[in-house]
Amino acid sequence: MNITIIIYKGEKVLELSGDIDMYSSPELREQLMSYIMKKIPSLSINFDKVSYIDSSGIATFVESLKCMKLYGGRLRFFSIPEGIMEIFRFSKLDRVFDIYGNIEDVFNS
Amino acid sequence: MKDTIVITIPSHPKFLSVVRAVTVGAGRLFEFDEAAAEDIKLAVDEACTNIIKHAYKGDTARKIVIKYKVIRKGFQVVIEDNGVRAKPESIRGRSFDDIRPGGLGIHFIKRVFDIYRFDPKRKKGNRLVLIKYFKRDK
Repeated sequence: MNITIIIYKGEKVLELSGDIDMYSSPELREQLMSYIMKKIPSLSINFDKVSYIDSSGIATFVESLKCMKLYGGRLRFFSIPEGIMEIFRFSKLDRVFDIYGNIEDVFNS
Repeated sequence: MKDTIVITIPSHPKFLSVVRAVTVGAGRLFEFDEAAAEDIKLAVDEACTNIIKHAYKGDTARKIVIKYKVIRKGFQVVIEDNGVRAKPESIRGRSFDDIRPGGLGIHFIKRVFDIYRFDPKRKKGNRLVLIKYFKRDK
């Protein structure tokens, strides 16, 4: 997994690529928590190049979402490949995460 | 051994990518469609993740053996470890409505495999048997 951080319209966007699993999710968690500790108001995640996610990766995002909600922060996902969306739907997490089609949808919301 | 694939990996999370590559390859080889092969890949990955977490308690220097084969009624994956014995009666996923980290792996395994059972004859460690029936046998 690789993490690239870009600024889009003044806000941080994490562009992820590769597999998010038990091996890579601690690095992702560390990155997310570094922002959450600073109470970042908005964080968007680009899933376009994510090829795989397992329960460890999902747990990382659930934890981040819960932490951000505590201080009113927003965690938003966009460009989720269908295979990963299917896992979110199966887990009923499509109702929990704030999901958008693409980056424009995120910033026009 | 006919049409059986066996791999052994150290119990380090970095080898899960190898398990996924072999599993999806086995799924395709045994003629599952792409979506089913991906589901099987996720399920076997989750089972190995559970072994690293729970049976080996994070010890990355142990061994996991994964065997894939076609049996009369379906596709069987057997996963063996020498770690702490699982308590099958206490393995259950979280409710989907209880939004918290963790507790989804077992759901991902049972979503695709029709049989999920620990072999009681295994003397030490665990032998997890997963079977996905071919559709005509369901």
